[in-house]
Amino acid sequence: MSGIQFKNVTKLYQQGENQVLALDDVSLTVEQGEFIAVIGPSGSGKSTFLATAGALLQPSKGEVIVNSKNLNELRSKDLVRLRLEEIGFILQTSNLVPYLNVLEQLLVVKRMAGKLLKQDEEYAKELLQSLGLAAKLEKLPEQLSGGERQRTAIARAFINNPSIILADEPTASLDSKRAHEVVQLIAKETKTRNKAAIMVTHDERMLEYCDKVYRMEDGRLKHYDFQS
Amino acid sequence: MFLAIRELKHGKLRFLMIGVITVLIAWLVFILSGLGNGLSTLSAATFKNMDADYVTFEEGARSSMSRSLLSESLVEELESQPSVSAASAMGATMGTVINNSDSNKSEKVDIALLGINPGSFLEPKVIEGKPLQTNEPLEVIANDTLKKKGFKIGDTLQIEGSLEKIKIVGFVKNETYNHLPAIFTTLDEWRSIQFSAPGSDKGIEKPVNAIMLQGEKIDSEEINQLFNNTETVTKATAIQGMPGYKEENGTIMMMLAFLLAISAFVLGVFFYVLTLQKSNQFGILKAIGASNRFLGRAIVSQVFLLSSISIVLGILLTYGTALILPNEMPFSLDLKLVVLYALLLLGISVLSSLVSVRKITKIDPLQAIGRME
Repeated sequence: MSGIQFKNVTKLYQQGENQVLALDDVSLTVEQGEFIAVIGPSGSGKSTFLATAGALLQPSKGEVIVNSKNLNELRSKDLVRLRLEEIGFILQTSNLVPYLNVLEQLLVVKRMAGKLLKQDEEYAKELLQSLGLAAKLEKLPEQLSGGERQRTAIARAFINNPSIILADEPTASLDSKRAHEVVQLIAKETKTRNKAAIMVTHDERMLEYCDKVYRMEDGRLKHYDFQS
Repeated sequence: MFLAIRELKHGKLRFLMIGVITVLIAWLVFILSGLGNGLSTLSAATFKNMDADYVTFEEGARSSMSRSLLSESLVEELESQPSVSAASAMGATMGTVINNSDSNKSEKVDIALLGINPGSFLEPKVIEGKPLQTNEPLEVIANDTLKKKGFKIGDTLQIEGSLEKIKIVGFVKNETYNHLPAIFTTLDEWRSIQFSAPGSDKGIEKPVNAIMLQGEKIDSEEINQLFNNTETVTKATAIQGMPGYKEENGTIMMMLAFLLAISAFVLGVFFYVLTLQKSNQFGILKAIGASNRFLGRAIVSQVFLLSSISIVLGILLTYGTALILPNEMPFSLDLKLVVLYALLLLGISVLSSLVSVRKITKIDPLQAIGRME
């Protein structure tokens, strides 16, 4: 099945003499078209959770399944491929390549996969247009506002048409108007393009756009009922 | 290339700085190689040009003409060896000549007087005038650099310390010996100048300094055993035995080696620092799916591009420098050497960037995600 599944995932860190339990028996399913949020205080294991979902960390125990592929069984080369083709990362702001313009930020991802085709460029322009960046194609990150940078990052995450979207604090360093816009956009793109999306955030104002919300505390993931 | 070119354009100043350093290094490398080539030509052009494979010296001469004295009668014996296809003797003397035909008669000129058999494989082709004749012992052929000193065909020269007067009948090109322009004469004439003092020939009949051998399959050990009191070496060894040759070449080679090593470290360190600076950026690119290969290629192609442009500029500057260098400077650029050093420099800079590539493979994409707990 497509989407992303955590089956009894545990992650232990060795820190000197102590073992730190970053993820404690986490189970979760996110299906296509679903947008979920994970909240929690810092140090709760949110980032570990996202890195594990994004094939950047191997779990100590349990299985992570992305589009029916068990990540434990993939070689590191295949994991790179999977990140490129099936996962779209939206990272914190200013994580764009400083010397590439908006259009090139997207094209470089295409180049990682191989040759750049004419239709790729067309698709990139369409995508940027739908995110309201049509007038900014030639701009470098330093010439963009925080919101525009984050929209570029969203476009970059969608360029390979991945089935999974992972967002790491996408609203950090944005004012609340921009923050709402950005999360609304992620929600809209997730629905219209039928993606499975996970957003890690500590910004509770953003939860109204999500289908489900989980709260992470000391490595444990719990369903969270929020009243909007 | 995509990332490489974009970044070069974006960071013009920093890449300009490293580019200028590379240009200067390349410039110096090419100038040194031109100087080395010029010096070694001046020192041993005659030996380099001669169509011989081995040289027989007197035992103990350590491949030096000036320390060696043999009898010309050995030539026939050497030639009778099956591996030797031809043999011919040579004698060398350093001397000073005065041009008697020059009206102002003021300038004395240092020359190398080389005795050879007319018509042998040791006689260089004349580019002007006529070659040596056995029955005209006073006719000589001279290197064409002497023309700049006012020497012409038909001039008679007085050799200092000798009563002999010789006449230039032809000019040859690129024949210098022991840093001096060469004048070729017959062996008999050379002997009458070199051994004019009684007893200076040490009682050797028809003395010569060395015998050059043709024959690619010559076994020098075998010749050494067959002929007492001789030592046969390859032409390359004989060139090394030219006075000052090893020392001059060694000095220049050492400078070149140091320069190349320095350029490797300068470029390597520069790109390594740049890579460290960008490690967060590379981490992000790796997180979104860039392979080590993709990022490594970006670095290597950047170094390749920058070095290529710098080296080409260095070559242009070197040829420009060659135009304004004084004529007396022993500077000669050999296209083959220029290409060789250009490729060597390029290879070294690309190799030095591999340190950065290794760093890239070690960057953890995890650092792109938030603050890791």
